[in-house]
Amino acid sequence: MIDNNFDRRDFLKVLGWGGAAVALSGCGNTSVEDGKETVVSYVEAAEYVAPGISVYFNSTCAQCDAGCSISGRVREGRVLKLEGNPDSVINRGKMCGLGQAGVQHHYNPDRVREPLLRSGDRGEAITWDKAYALIAEKLNGVSGDQIDFLTGTVSGHTKALLGNYLESLGSKNHFVYEAVSPAVQRAANMKSYGMEMPRFNINKAKVVLSFGADFLGAWVSPVHFSQQYAEFRKGVDGQRGVLVQVESKMTLTGANADRWLVVRPGTEGILAMGVINALGVAGLSLSADVAAAVKPYDKERVSKDTGVSTESLVKLAALLKDRTPSLVLLGSAAEGYAHGSQNAAAINLLNQVLGNVGKTLEASAAVPFPQIAPTIGNTAALRMVNNRLADGQIKVLFTYGTNPVFTAPSEMKFKENLGKANFRVAFAHYLDETALQADLVLPLDSALEDWGTLVAEYQPEGVQISVQQPLMEKLHPETRGMGEILLSLVKQRQPESYKAFDDYYAYLRTAMLKNKSEFANSAMDDDVFWNGVLSAGIINVGGNLNKLSSKLSTNIQLPAPAEQDAKYPFTLIPSVTANLRDGRHANQPWLQESPDPLTTIVWDSWVEIHPKKAAELGIVEGDIIAIESKNGTINAQAYLFPGIHPDAVSIPLGRGHEAMGRYAKGYGVNPFQILDRVFDGETGELAMHETKVKLSKVGKRVIVVKDEGFAGGAQHGKKIAMTKSSDQVDLSEEV
Amino acid sequence: MSVSNLLENWAEFRHTHPVDDVPHDPYKWAMSIDLDACSGCNACSIACYAENNIPVVGKDKFEHGQVMHWMRIERYWPEDGREFPDQGATFLPMMCQQCEAAPCETVCPVGATNHTADGLNSQIYNRCVGSRYCSANCPFKVRYFNWYDYPTTENVWPAEMTQQLNPDITLRGKGVMEKCTFCVQRIRAGERAVKNEGRILRDGEVQTACQQVCPTGAITFGNLVDPESKVHQKWKAQQVELTADEQEKDKEEGGTDLRGYRILEELRPYPSVMYMERVRESAI
Ligand code: SF4
Ligand code: SF4
Ligand code: SF4
Repeated sequence: MIDNNFDRRDFLKVLGWGGAAVALSGCGNTSVEDGKETVVSYVEAAEYVAPGISVYFNSTCAQCDAGCSISGRVREGRVLKLEGNPDSVINRGKMCGLGQAGVQHHYNPDRVREPLLRSGDRGEAITWDKAYALIAEKLNGVSGDQIDFLTGTVSGHTKALLGNYLESLGSKNHFVYEAVSPAVQRAANMKSYGMEMPRFNINKAKVVLSFGADFLGAWVSPVHFSQQYAEFRKGVDGQRGVLVQVESKMTLTGANADRWLVVRPGTEGILAMGVINALGVAGLSLSADVAAAVKPYDKERVSKDTGVSTESLVKLAALLKDRTPSLVLLGSAAEGYAHGSQNAAAINLLNQVLGNVGKTLEASAAVPFPQIAPTIGNTAALRMVNNRLADGQIKVLFTYGTNPVFTAPSEMKFKENLGKANFRVAFAHYLDETALQADLVLPLDSALEDWGTLVAEYQPEGVQISVQQPLMEKLHPETRGMGEILLSLVKQRQPESYKAFDDYYAYLRTAMLKNKSEFANSAMDDDVFWNGVLSAGIINVGGNLNKLSSKLSTNIQLPAPAEQDAKYPFTLIPSVTANLRDGRHANQPWLQESPDPLTTIVWDSWVEIHPKKAAELGIVEGDIIAIESKNGTINAQAYLFPGIHPDAVSIPLGRGHEAMGRYAKGYGVNPFQILDRVFDGETGELAMHETKVKLSKVGKRVIVVKDEGFAGGAQHGKKIAMTKSSDQVDLSEEV
Repeated sequence: MSVSNLLENWAEFRHTHPVDDVPHDPYKWAMSIDLDACSGCNACSIACYAENNIPVVGKDKFEHGQVMHWMRIERYWPEDGREFPDQGATFLPMMCQQCEAAPCETVCPVGATNHTADGLNSQIYNRCVGSRYCSANCPFKVRYFNWYDYPTTENVWPAEMTQQLNPDITLRGKGVMEKCTFCVQRIRAGERAVKNEGRILRDGEVQTACQQVCPTGAITFGNLVDPESKVHQKWKAQQVELTADEQEKDKEEGGTDLRGYRILEELRPYPSVMYMERVRESAI
């Protein structure tokens, strides 16, 4: 038996299974703890590694939080390419471009290679012992409530250890920040459906009406949804699914819509109410309070407010009434306003009225292990940390998996406030903008060198725990895994509880074995079980379903469409692209050189302007435009883009780095900087689409570097990319 | 190859493939790409970089048209003059069509690009002298020329990035032409693997990198002469004949409700890639 003095409950907590909703087997010692077996990382060349023959190891993609399982091709001890793992219910053997670029994260020439201690404005390489000692020293005498962690989304055993470490410090200040996050929608879903993230069955819907949810690009779990989408297009019994996308700036998903409806920015909720009204007119029976709530939204008013024609509205309602079940989705385009929560509520109401809840929108499974369940980021977290910094409440700040100096609107003065902390520690892959401000930079292993577990927020079937394992030896001897570092740190505080674990691998293995009965047969041999886990790269647990409710709330307050600001006449839409997201992977050259699907631009930022508006303003492609908000100005090349509302302009997020590495630094501009500080009234989330800007030409013109030719996307009567109308085809005959 | 020789033997050059007297046996590699499934996400293009050691050329060279993407996603807007593209865009994955009577092959002065027995348009790097005639003559503009020696160009494959390179494929030096190969290294490895078993490849045993990654499953690849293969069945169901320069179904009055077509078929390159038309709902 374990000979130290912590009890079973504590032991489970140490291992990340605390508070588990399922039974765990009794205590038992593993051979590692008994010292009968030593832990040898299997990445040391094994006998079966034959030169010239590739082997595949399963692991987990860490380029975003969707948790796709990967299968890495390894030859002569180095990883060459990542494929999707066919057994994963999330990505079923497929991947996205961002995920493919994971190898360039790993082999990146600009990775941080050793712990760096600030000395003036330079970083001086130090040893890990010194780094750990320094952390202990700086924490000495600091009370727990003055120690904060600001991280991106975390899950799995990293999160468990992080939680345990914070607790050992007496701190409750773990703030989870994602600059691009559907946080408003989560809150709205909680109200409407009783859970933040239900399952969406695009493949079972006959019509998908999406209010700006870019589910083929950057929304939630794009690889999973892309596969559902392909099924949806093939349809049920040859009836092809119809996609209608409502947004002010065309996303990749919008570009695939059967009907793309451009709306005046911010009026998405009004349109949703208008559709409900029109459904009522078309004969769908509405409950009395719903009917009353949508009464003011007759088609003339809605058309006037949103800019969508009455004809389109009537057609849309007819289609939705006709073809059931449908599915209504909402994305950042609807969420990003001061009334984002209200927009979301109206859109969810439409889903409920259409009877989709329980059909195309189903209960997701709850992760039965709270310690490893994902903690999802939002932007409210940044605000809180920023306020705490500004008020001098933080003495020691740790940052991990987030780059707030880059993503915080400059008006928040985050960088300046950061200076008020006494000691700043950044866990980092690159010297990004935030790491540059740190006192101590701790270099991380790449995701392809590290051990770990990851639990995605969006779980399409049961709960999948994705296992991460090294696909090759470390490239740089002085980097460490996040789990490894946390284990060392928590050992400083509670040496007794963690002394059984020489390293994070031992910890992880013990943790998994501890829960063997839950994952497999408890009688199974430990090694067989563990090897099985590693070779599958996935553990599936059932997980009880969350309880799906459908609470109709008709208390929806939608403001009238915003009047045009005379000084700042355009709405700025900072767009989220599938490859660059919030900019954390901008130093991966494949992503820089992969053309933006819609504009085909590479290696730079641009501002999208509707051609009609551009003509009015005398702007042509390549004109350098100053985009000025109340909080600053950025300059970007103009691109004339037909898929945008004439009163809006759009700049993609993710570029405009001042640091990070050779492929990121100096390319493009960063629209985060000029965002207005407007927040969603209910959730306090940063309202990303509320920034108003004005445009002026600076008198310079460049050649836009892009993939499309001079024809600019025209076929000139040649039969190249052809389209048929749905009534001209018979999909049921196809193979 | 002199011009007179070329002209005298034109029919033969044009007629090497496809012909009835020299049938494809046992393989004829081909594709089918469903434009109604393709979302334009570009994952295939990036996967192709990863698989085929394609250099990232950087902004300046990209500006000069020197990008090397073997697989590119073309984006087309509707040309109906409306204010908004309210039926979205059309995305078209475009790479070498592995033409059966490849216009690029006949103009190569040194025969560096030619046809393989299993129906691929191959490129022999160490025979290529860089005349770039092939590129000029390719109707699809899918050939890419190495204007620089990328392996030694700064920041193309710095230090540890070289470790990612696929050892099954050469690195191309300055002055040679390159293009999509249908991931020929995967085909050859697959063939070798099953040869020991005394059989030929079955459908699905070899996937191209773009096909494998594609999240919508838009790309089907396989052996066109294997009746069990998906690609064979798709071509057949769509009534697209490899050897035709105009499909029977297209001659019908009022057109066809089948979606399969080949791009620039009328130029008679006999492409090995069939596309399936995008569909847009008529009721909305
Ligand atoms: S969706 Fe996210 S997790 Fe999946 S392959 Fe792409 S980057 Fe990786
Ligand atoms: S597509 Fe172009 S490069 Fe490919 S075989 Fe045809 S002509 Fe040659
Ligand atoms: S990966 Fe598939 S869906 Fe994406 S662009 Fe390529 S063919 Fe289209």
